[in-house]
Amino acid sequence: MIEHRDDQIERDVLAAMGRPGAGWWIALATSALFFFGGLILWGYQIFRGLGVAGINNPVGWGVYIANFVFWVGIAHSGTLISAVLFLFRARFRSSFNRAAEAMTVIALMTAGLFPLIHLGRVWVFYYLLPYPNERQLWVNFRSPLIWDVFAVTTYMIVSAVFFYVGMLPDLAVARRRLGGIRSRIFRVLSLGWRGTLRQWHHYGKLYILLAAFATPLVASVHSIVSWDFAMSIVPGWHTTIFAPYFVAGAILSGTAMVITLVAPMRRILKLEAYITPAHFESIAKILLLTSLIVSYSYIVEYALAFYGDQPPEAGQFSYRALGDYRVFFWAMILFNSVLPLSLFIKQLRLNIRYLFVLSLFVNIGMWLERFVLIVSALAHEYEPYAWGTYSPSFVEIGITLGSFGLFFSLYLLFLKTLPVLSITELKEHQP
Amino acid sequence: MSRIERFRSKEEFLDALRSNLDEDRESVIDILMPYPLPEAQQLMNPEPSQLKVFAFTGALCGFAFGLFLTIYSVLSWPLIIGGKPLISIPPFLIIAYTLTILFGALASFFGFLWLSRLPRIPALFAAEQWEEDGRFAIVLKADEP
Repeated sequence: MIEHRDDQIERDVLAAMGRPGAGWWIALATSALFFFGGLILWGYQIFRGLGVAGINNPVGWGVYIANFVFWVGIAHSGTLISAVLFLFRARFRSSFNRAAEAMTVIALMTAGLFPLIHLGRVWVFYYLLPYPNERQLWVNFRSPLIWDVFAVTTYMIVSAVFFYVGMLPDLAVARRRLGGIRSRIFRVLSLGWRGTLRQWHHYGKLYILLAAFATPLVASVHSIVSWDFAMSIVPGWHTTIFAPYFVAGAILSGTAMVITLVAPMRRILKLEAYITPAHFESIAKILLLTSLIVSYSYIVEYALAFYGDQPPEAGQFSYRALGDYRVFFWAMILFNSVLPLSLFIKQLRLNIRYLFVLSLFVNIGMWLERFVLIVSALAHEYEPYAWGTYSPSFVEIGITLGSFGLFFSLYLLFLKTLPVLSITELKEHQP
Repeated sequence: MSRIERFRSKEEFLDALRSNLDEDRESVIDILMPYPLPEAQQLMNPEPSQLKVFAFTGALCGFAFGLFLTIYSVLSWPLIIGGKPLISIPPFLIIAYTLTILFGALASFFGFLWLSRLPRIPALFAAEQWEEDGRFAIVLKADEP
């Protein structure tokens, strides 16, 4: 008897959760090693004080803040793929949405650590939260840093709920298909889902509502992150295009990270039948579009500085391109604006290996963008006698690598513990 | 008493559902689906979901709470910062907006759990009659013995 198509989908997707091979263990061990290395360095920094980091006066924000912006940015394309493309009824999203949603939650967990790492006295981090206290003080709600706390926390909670809700029917499948302790865990996690009329009826409504709530977050969270910079009067930061520019950059970097994660996952977990080159092509188009928007923003930034008749602003932008950080600046232009132009060629959009390599470059380029933006602006403000430079210390570099270790460790754990594709949607959309 | 009929293909399921409903609307107690079929939902014609009420109420509460939190806190310790008015509406709207989304999303989620009667506590620990098994099913009233 020929196996029914539904059974085949269930079996193929859940097979990915089978016993991991040597490659997975090596990857996990490497990532975990970086993570624990970073953790030890953070402990060292807490013990010795922030002086072990390279941040100084005038450059008080260094790679920690660059990492924060980078990881929050990575999170964005998850919501774009899961919520926005859902509302637009883009079918190809079902190949990516689970991986992208997991990426969002994990990236936000990583990002959330950096404001804490950046604190001199991390043990009083709760001063950031508004709560009645014996000091009778409240947080300053006019500060963008507090908007950030609210925006990122909300984003984290809403993405986690969205991730879980999307998985609910699949957890019931896992409960039935897997044996042993896993069956018992999935039994609890699936909340007794049966797929009755009543459940599906409200579920459909819930999914649309959550997508509608999450969609404005795609635009607002990184806008608010950008206002951490734009609300100041630092030349190079104080500009109105920052919000849309950051959102486009976030989606560019997030899309690149989705490709970086899904291309090997598809191969290793043998999901070629479900994630096809055509699906990758659609993602590549989003990458190309957002790369063009980012390039446009770079041009506008320079045009504003050039025509603005503001000597500090003009000085900042010529410093950015020709000063101490010029290598990073031009690398950023090459990786974010020039290389993605190759995606105008259809053959390259369909070539997954090429997309994977390109996505690595874009990831690096987007990290450099945040670095250049933050550091070059602070290094070269109004007063020439207050200019300075910054280079990260080994602690900062180690903690940065540690954050990548954390991100990849959690992602690898996700691959082996939860269904990596939406079984329900694959069944629903099969021809 | 009730009995269950299971179907592998959605076409058979929809045909059976149609004929059962035509015969006696009251005989169909429930349907089970591995993925949502709009046709089946149309045939069963359930009442419109009231989830939007939860979403709207949650969102409204979030907005109100955001404004309350910001305005109350500046009034409880009135400290002029940067020459700005104590009650600075534009930045407070950002907090209110964020909390609108947060409360709206959470209220929708908990509303969903309430309306779909989840979690079903006994089902969390032991298998029960008629679980999801990857097939379509119709739960019918059984004839009296």
